[in-house]
Amino acid sequence: MSGVARGTVNAAGRLVAADPALATLHARAGGNADTPLAVVPLASIARLARRLGVVVSRPVTVADEEADVELWVRAQPIGDEVRLAVSGWRAQQPWPGPRGDDPVELEGWRWECDAALRLTHLAVGAAARSGSEVSDLLGQPVTALFTLEADGAGGLPLIDALAQRVALRRQRARVRTGGNPVVLEARVRRDAAGSFAGFVGTARPVEEALLATPPLSEAFTQGLDRALRRPLARIVANADSIHGQADGPIAPDYADYAADIAGAGRHLLSLIDDLADLQAIERADFDVPVEPIDLADLARRAAGLLSVRADNAGVTVLRPPLGATAEARGDFRRVLQILVNLVGNAIRYAPQGSAVAIELGETEGRRTVTVIDGGKGIDAEDAERVFEKFERVDPAEPGGSGLGLYIARRLARAMGGDLTLVSAPGRGARFTLALPTR
Amino acid sequence: MRALLDHLLTGMVGEVEARLREDASRMLVSRGDRAGAARLRQARPSAAQRLERAGLLANEPLLAELFARLRQDLIAERLPVRADDDEPSLLARLAQVGDPTVAAAARGLLVAESRRREALAMGDVTASDLPAELHQQLVWRVAAALRDGDTSADRALVEAAGRILAGYDEGERADAQAMRLAFAIDARPQELPALLDEAIGDRRLSLVFAALALSAQVPFDVVRSLAVEPDDERWWLLLRAVDLDPLTMARLALALASADPRRGDQDLPTLLDAANAVSAEEARAELAVLRLPPDFRAAVDALGTGEAA
Repeated sequence: MSGVARGTVNAAGRLVAADPALATLHARAGGNADTPLAVVPLASIARLARRLGVVVSRPVTVADEEADVELWVRAQPIGDEVRLAVSGWRAQQPWPGPRGDDPVELEGWRWECDAALRLTHLAVGAAARSGSEVSDLLGQPVTALFTLEADGAGGLPLIDALAQRVALRRQRARVRTGGNPVVLEARVRRDAAGSFAGFVGTARPVEEALLATPPLSEAFTQGLDRALRRPLARIVANADSIHGQADGPIAPDYADYAADIAGAGRHLLSLIDDLADLQAIERADFDVPVEPIDLADLARRAAGLLSVRADNAGVTVLRPPLGATAEARGDFRRVLQILVNLVGNAIRYAPQGSAVAIELGETEGRRTVTVIDGGKGIDAEDAERVFEKFERVDPAEPGGSGLGLYIARRLARAMGGDLTLVSAPGRGARFTLALPTR
Repeated sequence: MRALLDHLLTGMVGEVEARLREDASRMLVSRGDRAGAARLRQARPSAAQRLERAGLLANEPLLAELFARLRQDLIAERLPVRADDDEPSLLARLAQVGDPTVAAAARGLLVAESRRREALAMGDVTASDLPAELHQQLVWRVAAALRDGDTSADRALVEAAGRILAGYDEGERADAQAMRLAFAIDARPQELPALLDEAIGDRRLSLVFAALALSAQVPFDVVRSLAVEPDDERWWLLLRAVDLDPLTMARLALALASADPRRGDQDLPTLLDAANAVSAEEARAELAVLRLPPDFRAAVDALGTGEAA
């Protein structure tokens, strides 16, 4: 039922003609042939379009018996009547996905393109650092910036994503100038009528893509890849195409099951990353090399890597100001990994419209960086528990392996520092990473 | 909004301060004054703290500029995009047209907006996106706040400030780039509605403001200040002053309403009816004062305030 349902609303606001899906919605909302259109959000869009005399397009959420349904509505006034075209007809967010409601791992520097795949936005600084001349690239096709590389099965994820109008995942590519390898991820941008209007994406340098992979024996990593990662990636990709109804419409229940399968698959993929880390840090000879690092710079980088995710969640991340420095000792990649974890958590739990603050400090000869969110917080007695294996800040929250904070604290302690939490219900959480200065 | 504004302001001062400290102390080192360089590097309190205590950080014109800019950026970010099949979007298309002036201006705007959005996403604003007078004032004030009374340190600070000011180009600002593109396109009155329509559908609010500013002969920042307030009736007068047709006005108003939670759309028809009852000539007469040079307007305002007191 993924097509478009049409209908006509007359000058008196009555639904005088309607495709079955629209008629059913009207009837379920208590309407009949003699009553005005009973689906309130649709009726008000129709009224607005008639009074303004212009097309009004926008997404609306309507309650349809058990589920909320997200619909794309286009209301076009013609004379005294308004023609409605309603598409969508899919229950909202069948499964929130392993990491909140954002199905794509949006980390790295950002790029955006329009429906014709022309670049309309670029992270100027990052693109320039990769050797690209930004002013020559904007307005050009995405392929002027990236050389796409085929995946293991010989396909190009970007072409698949474009054809199916679904999120882009794990497109390997190289930045044309300089040849640096990156992984591209993107979500679909839709216009007010629900049509494809381009991608909002990120390019993650491959060093960072491999961040979560510890220095394990190559044989183990390859074994894990062969045994789990690749088959899971296939499952996720296929389930996504079924959910996207790439081969034609299917019953909505089945499309939703497919979304469940894809979400669960992605969850397992992130679990593999965490388990690989766990394997490394629990080894007796685990050792993290330390060197002078700038915690302020790392905090800004972590916030930068998550800026798209923060945007999507409607959360502002207040980074340490440029020019602020905080010298400490630690391993650059591992500290970045910890901070990405803390800031990512904070974004997940912060209410929409709120801010996540990153503050620098100093205590007992250690430099500290504290990540503060305005989320619901947790009890003092639970504050220690979140650092235990397979424990969660909020067990009711979907996604996450319950290993991130455990790994983060183990890493902090391996560098001679610590990771602590101060929180109270209703007061948000303050995670503080402390690292030695010498 | 207030917290974000404070954060942006402190960040902007911090950026200028870091550059001044770095450049000036390097100059001192090159002149053999290591002690002076170390003093300057470590001088406390920070410039932001000193300026704040002196009440110079949150000065009215600077705050007004940042506030309007932030509002514009937040609205632009939420504007609904309009895709026309698989056609390239407006700026992507203009960046490739045969007319080199238009193409260069479109590319300039794409870069300037990318830079500004990226800075905002990172929670930064760069001082170099400020209008010239505000930029100059800010740099000198930060330099003054870093001063410790030593003559050679003063000289180094002056030179460092001079370098920052010399590297600043008002024409690179996103607003200036948008104006440049509007000039290059030079839309005729009958072409203006289509341009506004496409620009808002491409979420390029700065180009909408620039095209209106050019057409109404009103400065860009005046158009912006009218547009970002949800209930400034002069915004409607401005649209009437350029003789915009009711349908284009409705589409602009709808797009803004869906991007700005402070605006409702249910009273739009009434507002539009009221606006359309005003003729273009009447609207132009009402807005005549906005067309006067800004310094003249400021003087008129000051005189009025002075006489009323």
